[in-house]
Amino acid sequence: MDVSTALQLLFSGLSIGAIYALVALALVIPFKASGVLNFGQGQMVTLGAYIALTLSQAGLPYYAVVPLTLLIAGLAGMAIERVFIRRLVRAPEFTIVIATFALGLMVQDAIRLHWQDNDFPLPVPFSTDPWRFGSVRVNPVFVWIVLATVVLVVVLAAFFRHSRAGKAMRAVSQNQEAARLMGISVEGVFSATWAIGTAIGALAGILFAPVTGINPGIGDLIIKAFVAAVIGGFSSLPGAVVGGLALGEIETFSGALAGSTLKNVSAFVVLILMLLVRPYGLFGTAGARRV
Amino acid sequence: MRGASDLRKLAAMATAVLAALAAPLLFGTYGAYLCNLVLVNVVIAVGLNLLTGNAGQISLCNSSFVAIGAYVCTWLFTQQGLSFWLALPAGGAVAAAFGCLLALPAMRLSGFYLALATLGFLEITEVVIEQFPDITGGIRGMLAARPTLFGVTLATDRALYYTILPIVAVLVVVARNLLACDTGRAFNAIRVSPLAAQTLGISPARTKLIAFALAAFYAGIAGGLGAAVVGFIDPAEFGAGAALREVTFIVVGGLGSVAGSVIGAIVLTLLPELLRGVQEYADLVYAGLLLGFLMLLPQGLVRLPETLRRGRAPASPAGEPAAP
Repeated sequence: MDVSTALQLLFSGLSIGAIYALVALALVIPFKASGVLNFGQGQMVTLGAYIALTLSQAGLPYYAVVPLTLLIAGLAGMAIERVFIRRLVRAPEFTIVIATFALGLMVQDAIRLHWQDNDFPLPVPFSTDPWRFGSVRVNPVFVWIVLATVVLVVVLAAFFRHSRAGKAMRAVSQNQEAARLMGISVEGVFSATWAIGTAIGALAGILFAPVTGINPGIGDLIIKAFVAAVIGGFSSLPGAVVGGLALGEIETFSGALAGSTLKNVSAFVVLILMLLVRPYGLFGTAGARRV
Repeated sequence: MRGASDLRKLAAMATAVLAALAAPLLFGTYGAYLCNLVLVNVVIAVGLNLLTGNAGQISLCNSSFVAIGAYVCTWLFTQQGLSFWLALPAGGAVAAAFGCLLALPAMRLSGFYLALATLGFLEITEVVIEQFPDITGGIRGMLAARPTLFGVTLATDRALYYTILPIVAVLVVVARNLLACDTGRAFNAIRVSPLAAQTLGISPARTKLIAFALAAFYAGIAGGLGAAVVGFIDPAEFGAGAALREVTFIVVGGLGSVAGSVIGAIVLTLLPELLRGVQEYADLVYAGLLLGFLMLLPQGLVRLPETLRRGRAPASPAGEPAAP
């Protein structure tokens, strides 16, 4: 493999990894605060893509579609948290897993009933002709994905480090009782983290839509996001990002070196290996598991 | 008092046996076909309930074990010329072997992490089925054949029903008896408290291994039977949707209860038939039912009379599965 091929693969892995990282973040943020892992998060990605599709078909420009979609998805996340999740916070993990899984499937079924199994394009306001750097071709769509992910990660980091609300969320994830005693509304934090998680999922849907087209199966990438979150350790936001990018590279390179079969199973092999060897991930601590 | 309850139990059992014997005669050919599907789903539900309801292990890949059983049994029977009655347990055994394999990571995991590991196994199985079309037919699926008994092909659904009914009955009774002996009590013990179970000399790892192998064996047998009943293996039937449907059987029927598994499988196999006019909403209804039962009636249908007698739904959400 020569240098330009390697560079090409590296960039492909980076852009797909950025999507995985986004969805992994969407999983980890509500999980850290409420202890509820959303097995239906993939369908929130699908939902976001279809909200964007609806808005875009209504004639809105891309620049308006993106923030509006995030807003609507955030509100949907809050509604789901209020109606279902808050009753489940103290439930056994089995109930949480199956209930969120079922919720996700309901969203997907509803979308499939309305839009059928068609593929819709989501137009982007820039040319999708690849840029050439020597023999390396770079698709602007992928550049936009990476750029948007970087911006989001920086904003999130600043939010959690410096803002009052972000600090409140970290406090709740460390100790709910103590946070409550400090006057933080734990329910408010649950609600906010679900809004953020769903909005990030929707953003991943919008960014991914030009690559795959919009169809009811777009949320199937959730399993990759789970793997990314496991690699990073479920308790770490930087871990989720690193895990996503690492998985993107692992998939891309294993596919290039050993063919599509290995590419398709590599994520799950990594998942099982990680769970066997280091279930708390690269960035987690052994005690982070919810008992 | 004890005599009365025993009598009631006996009456219920006799009714169940009579109903099982009469069912395929009451409704036409399609009814007999549905009865066969019910039997297959009963086996799936009983096995999964041992693992999830009793041993407390989340499994999102039960449909993968059904797939393994279906493919192994059908491949041995239609392409290798083995007798169906040998291919069927072989399919179950191979599925059980994979169940043990999955148990290796699963032994060390619980809760969300276990759910993720089983989800990974589900995806791997799907990819493998697609990647080896020479054996599995890939996404196009694979034709299965009706089994023969003493040289007679079981062509009608009724003949097939009465042939597999004893197998299903044995599997149900075995599960019931298993729960009454030390293995079944060990399942319940590691669900309620792995720590307490350990202090009593029960190895959670070994118990989980047995539970996974058993559930996989039941699923594998059901897969072989299902292929024979339907006559075709559709790989789309073994995805996450199917896995969740199987979990729905036991949640709606009653977690941890053999009777609950049977009730759940019967109700949810026949339910789509009632939704005939609105067939496309079937999946939505399934998921909605699952969610509704989890949140409002976590004890399942099998405990419904008691729940009603107590006047209101239990306060604790979905906690304790019903007694066996």
